[in-house]
Amino acid sequence: MALARTVTLPNGLTLAVEEQPWNPGVAMQLLLPVGAITDPEGLEGAANLLEGWLWKGAGGRDARALAEAFDDLGVRRGSGAGLEYTTLGASFLAGQLEKVLALYADVLMRPALPDDALEPVRQVALQELASLEDQPPKKMFTALRRAVFSSPHGRNPSGTLEGLQAATPEALRADFRRRYGARGAVLALAGGLTLEQAHAAVEATLGAWDGGEPAMPGPAVSRPHALRLEQPSAQVQIGLVYPDVSIGHPEFYTARLAAQVLSGGMGARLFAEVREKRGLVYSVYASPNGVKGYSYLSAYAGTTPERAPETLEVMQQVIEQLAEGVSAEELERAKVGLRTALVMQEESARARVVSMARDLYIIARVRPLEEIEAEIAAVDLERLNRYVAANPYRDPWTAVLGPVDQTVVSL
Amino acid sequence: MNPTHLQTARMDTGMEFKEARLDNGLTVIAEVNPAARSVAMGYFVKTGSRDERPEESGVSHFLEHMLFKGTPTRDALEINLEFDRLGAQNNAFTSEENTVYHGAVLPEFGPRLLELLTDMMRPALRQEDFDTEKQVILEEIALYADRPQFMAYDWARERYFRGHGLGNSVLGTVESIEALTREQMADYHARCYSPSNMVLALAGQLDWEATLEQVRELTREWRPAAVQREYAPFEPRPGEFRQPYAQATQSYLWHFAPGFAAQDERRYAAGVLANVLGADGNSRLHWALVDSGLVESASAGHEDNDGAGLFYAFAQTDPANEEAVAEVVRREMERLEREGVRADEVERAKNKIATGIVFAGETPMNRLFNLGLSYVYTGRYETLSEMARKYEAITVADVNALLEAKPFSQGFLYRLVPENADSR
Repeated sequence: MALARTVTLPNGLTLAVEEQPWNPGVAMQLLLPVGAITDPEGLEGAANLLEGWLWKGAGGRDARALAEAFDDLGVRRGSGAGLEYTTLGASFLAGQLEKVLALYADVLMRPALPDDALEPVRQVALQELASLEDQPPKKMFTALRRAVFSSPHGRNPSGTLEGLQAATPEALRADFRRRYGARGAVLALAGGLTLEQAHAAVEATLGAWDGGEPAMPGPAVSRPHALRLEQPSAQVQIGLVYPDVSIGHPEFYTARLAAQVLSGGMGARLFAEVREKRGLVYSVYASPNGVKGYSYLSAYAGTTPERAPETLEVMQQVIEQLAEGVSAEELERAKVGLRTALVMQEESARARVVSMARDLYIIARVRPLEEIEAEIAAVDLERLNRYVAANPYRDPWTAVLGPVDQTVVSL
Repeated sequence: MNPTHLQTARMDTGMEFKEARLDNGLTVIAEVNPAARSVAMGYFVKTGSRDERPEESGVSHFLEHMLFKGTPTRDALEINLEFDRLGAQNNAFTSEENTVYHGAVLPEFGPRLLELLTDMMRPALRQEDFDTEKQVILEEIALYADRPQFMAYDWARERYFRGHGLGNSVLGTVESIEALTREQMADYHARCYSPSNMVLALAGQLDWEATLEQVRELTREWRPAAVQREYAPFEPRPGEFRQPYAQATQSYLWHFAPGFAAQDERRYAAGVLANVLGADGNSRLHWALVDSGLVESASAGHEDNDGAGLFYAFAQTDPANEEAVAEVVRREMERLEREGVRADEVERAKNKIATGIVFAGETPMNRLFNLGLSYVYTGRYETLSEMARKYEAITVADVNALLEAKPFSQGFLYRLVPENADSR
């Protein structure tokens, strides 16, 4: 099985490489701890704006020349600012590594951030914020996360109307200097390259990059409560959030297997009961989620208003009943599901770098896939049943969004 | 500028293509890759909403769901449990012209996944399951009703294709689904799921001889039926339509124009042209719409279908910008037709496509869709390096030749807008 090797450069940048000698391509994920949670007060959305503004020119090139330089190297790229961090992702052919890194070095160390380009960036961000109205599941989860966290982890990664409108070029440039930098940043590479090649190329291009590592607020949560949000839509969106154990906890993989029993496949409990048996929904699932320092299980269903009360009730019942125990066959299915997902992740360089970068952000090391496999194998039925009995999923935060006032009196 | 031609040879190293036609008419193909750590497989049924009669609207997609609800020897739970026992990453989808059931597993589970998928192709279609699943389909229709971007796409296709099957909705409507009977579905299945209308495709680590023997055994009772897709002529007609929609707060613009069929070699040049027009990050529409802040997102692409093709462009915008965006889309397309594309744009588009092809071969699951669909359309196998070479060979003249016919001038602009958009 493949193994990622990691080095930390003198400037604080962490480089992780997984060598795939057979692969003609390289996938890259650069993770910067610049997200909504470290946006300055009153400037919510700054990380989002900065990420858009970055591409408006760098290293003496204007926006168009910069985009053309990436295209000349055949780089396929994608980037975005999220709740906790900003990611710059790319895939390209292995021979282009140093030239590609040189371009990213221009973007990170020598961005133009021109005044006149900020307004269009703001306009795009404002539209993105407004379009939340046309995406009811996303809107519901945004509101639910805001209710769960009393820390900045409840923020909308897109920002706020006020924050986006308040941002000036000067304020954003100051924020860029404060937050963008090598310390705390992670560069993950997987594909047809060696650690030595990558290390030399990174030293040559990003070696002089400095700064970084803004202070990160810790997560804090409210007391579980219920939200009702009125919206004239065809379906009601139902969301549940249950506290869960974090990575690093000795029973972390036990909890992963429990979540897999609930919703790991089409035969898992939630899908089988809510959709297959009762036909209440098209979409229903539960999945482990979280931020650095706090993990939770979130569950979702969308259904038409008259069936919403039953759907919510059955979901909660199925999730709470997990505490009563799991069968040997369920555990077996959960294990094979997780193991297959690991192998398939290993086959895809893109999937690997995303996971490597996130590991480094959350736990400051890359978990070898063998280690995860061994942890999963070590969970037997007795241990799993002891765990679910002692740690029942109970008392969630809940949200319902839809035409709830008129039609769903009992919610 | 681009070392792709040196690299692509590595993509296909050690891969072997296999192909067989069984006596019952079923085609089995495989791209065997001994180095892969998983195997992906899928039944590609050459049927979709374009093959439905008006009173059957939505049946292809509903039937796709029903294949998971049971066979003579398995009920729905048993099917789902078996997928989970294999750790399968599996799903299915229905489009206007294809219905695909696919899964990927570790190689040791390959034979069991093959048995399960093959069994599903001959469903029981029990009345009770039909009634329950109808509710799920209605929920899916309600789900999309709350997603204006999707509704805009569906309705735009209907307007552009004007009665041609490629404009048929995959989901159908609440009315058509409510009216549909189990008997109509059984009749559709008998008509369209003939082995001669299906391709079983596999990619990754597998034993070809054993696989073929197993499929032959499992499908021994399958009988071919005569099945013929109708290829109604389609004449594009320029036009516009603007639809207010209660669930939209943003404005959604789709532009459709005639492109090239999946059997037409010009589809490669069309792919390059679409990239020049609307690729993310650097394209005509990117600079005119996204860089200027007029839209939240804009894109364009080329879709090659069976016997027809389509250039599409999409933009999502604040209602206040709707007119300006429509104007820019028209202007950029008109400028392309008038001035053609530049050599540097073509080269850059090709570079990005080349990198995409390298990554398309990364996992058996990624590879499966291209392998299966391109075989369904053309009846032949194309390696990734072959595909890469075809893009590599595209010239400015090839792309400009497509523009001479002025495809965008024959296009249709559809807009879905908020109900109160005009009173703001």
